Amino acid sequence: MISGLQIGVLASGVWALGLLGALHRRAQGYGRRELFARAAGDPRKGVAYAFGKGMSPAAKESAREHLPTWFAGVGYHLGILAGLGYVALLLVGIELDGMLRLGFQAPLLAGALCGTGLLVKRAFTPRLRALSCPDDFLSNLLATAFVALAFARTISARLDAAFLAETMLLLLWVPVGKIRHCLFFFTTRYHMATHFGRRGTFPPASFPPRA
Amino acid sequence: MPELDELEARLARLEPADFERGLAVFRGKLRGAEASYLETCVRCGLCADSCHYFRADHELKSIPAYKLSQVASVFKRHCTVEGRLASALLGAKSFDRAMARTWVEAIFGRCSLCGRCSLNCTTGIHIATVLRAARSALAEMGLVPSDLQSVVTQSLESGNNMGITKQDWIETVEWLEEELQTAVGDPGARIPVDKEGARVLFTVNPREPKFFPLSLQASATVFHAAKEDWTVASEGWDLTNYGLFTGDSVQAGAIADNLLRSMQRLGCRVLIIGECGHGYAAARWEAPEWLGREHGFEVRSFLELMEDYFREGRLKVDPDRHQDPVTLHDPCNLVRHGGVCEPQRTILRRTVRRFVEMIPNRAENFCCGGGGGQLAMARFQAKRVQAGGVKAEQIRRSGAKTVVAPCHNCIDQLMELNREYRLGVSIKTVAEIVADALVFDQPVGR
Ligand code: SF4
Ligand code: SF4
Repeated sequence: MISGLQIGVLASGVWALGLLGALHRRAQGYGRRELFARAAGDPRKGVAYAFGKGMSPAAKESAREHLPTWFAGVGYHLGILAGLGYVALLLVGIELDGMLRLGFQAPLLAGALCGTGLLVKRAFTPRLRALSCPDDFLSNLLATAFVALAFARTISARLDAAFLAETMLLLLWVPVGKIRHCLFFFTTRYHMATHFGRRGTFPPASFPPRA
Repeated sequence: MPELDELEARLARLEPADFERGLAVFRGKLRGAEASYLETCVRCGLCADSCHYFRADHELKSIPAYKLSQVASVFKRHCTVEGRLASALLGAKSFDRAMARTWVEAIFGRCSLCGRCSLNCTTGIHIATVLRAARSALAEMGLVPSDLQSVVTQSLESGNNMGITKQDWIETVEWLEEELQTAVGDPGARIPVDKEGARVLFTVNPREPKFFPLSLQASATVFHAAKEDWTVASEGWDLTNYGLFTGDSVQAGAIADNLLRSMQRLGCRVLIIGECGHGYAAARWEAPEWLGREHGFEVRSFLELMEDYFREGRLKVDPDRHQDPVTLHDPCNLVRHGGVCEPQRTILRRTVRRFVEMIPNRAENFCCGGGGGQLAMARFQAKRVQAGGVKAEQIRRSGAKTVVAPCHNCIDQLMELNREYRLGVSIKTVAEIVADALVFDQPVGR
């Protein structure tokens, strides 16, 4: 029997997906730039690079020089993905056990720790705090609580209601605040990559690019 | 400082209609790509160290994400429903006088549009392109620093950014032709002017005839050695385009059109952009977009052409003439924005004994600090020189005695850095290095 909270999660998911779709249409509604300059490189190769090697610390100084933060970001996002997968399983009535449960618990715990670390970093690094707006804290808090509660829910089914309620809140906030980057990360990276791919900057002639 | 006061006075005079026009221009500059960029920043701050301004001063206002957020906050407030409804929560802000001042300070004063942050953004935001759109809005509102705008105005009025008259230009070319003949020992050596049907039209930064004639002579020597069928134009020869920096696409397009008209008038097949980063990006990549049409001819950098000459065996050089270590500066507009990365390396490896790369290099190289029109804006000079400290350090660490910079704007900045940071290096163009190493078997006049 599906509970009210489960219906709430599903409805929030529809809200999130619907509004993300609307945001995508709004952004693309600005139109495509007609390009007249002859391409020097292949935009598709630029895209392949940007979504592949170009994401690695070897390719990006900003990642190379901030490896703990970069790994925390990766861990955080893997945790969120695991959390979403876990919600989906719960909604179709699958309870995890054994190795499968461990397989979810590991990224969830890591994600919760990473998310907390990033939140603390944002709160206590003066420069990062100054760069932030309330949405940064709220988004980080909602996503971290989501992953933490997902982990807790794998241990105790009594936290079911709390976890589902938190999932609802997160999904409601996704398209409103900066978590919309779950969509725009892909479109932005695509646009940037086609731009630099056309110009022959991506992919670099040698990899890693500094060599 | 009069410029400061003047800009303040212009800010004070802004009417609501000016803000409306600025916003309309800003919106007009956005396409799906930019709209996406404006939605994506997660304020992780990881772009901070990619910017030479931040590396040099460690100020919040120099972080690329800070500059981007000033623009994105206006976008949110004026172009999105959620930004209007929950501005405090989402960091949306009105485009008012204070914000316009912030934009000027952040986008003209602390950004050379070098694009290094774009390559380092965690999410892939092409930050420089958003900041350029914001410059366009400021241009519409009359908020381009007057010394930068005056370079554009000079180009529009006189056909080159230094107001060099046609007579002065021709006389300089004639004098350089005589110098060339003496240097190569060939009275048949030419710097052709307005040679109709020549294969190559060569374009020049006005700083060359004005201050660095030997640089122009070096290019001519290379053409001569390669037996190229080339010409310069008596009018429409200036490759620079500061409209790229002010963000006024109409004016930029009009300046770019000078070169295109020269190509049409002379019926040349290849437009060669001399060693200039922004000139290359403007003519090769931006002009077709400003003018809304494809060039009916090839636009190439002089570096690509010189690389061809080497490949085709048209240039003979003696690398022993350059014994000291030589390093290479990668101009942002030529390399990161322009995609011309390897020809200059291929050339230098053949032309000098010890070529050492700066670290980092190629598309990851740091801006010298002189790009984005910075050299023309006196009010930001101290910041520019401070930000250039990152490049100075790169040069020092390379251990090179000569810095090769295929860009005259970069050379200006590097010369200032050389003095300011006591680097003790000599600074040359690629053509100067090649010309110094050229070996002539016999007079090569045609
Ligand atoms: S790296 Fe990109 S996403 Fe992160 S703060 Fe800088 S601009 Fe924003
Ligand atoms: S474009 Fe260059 S100067 Fe401007 S913010 Fe980015 S890194 Fe800094």
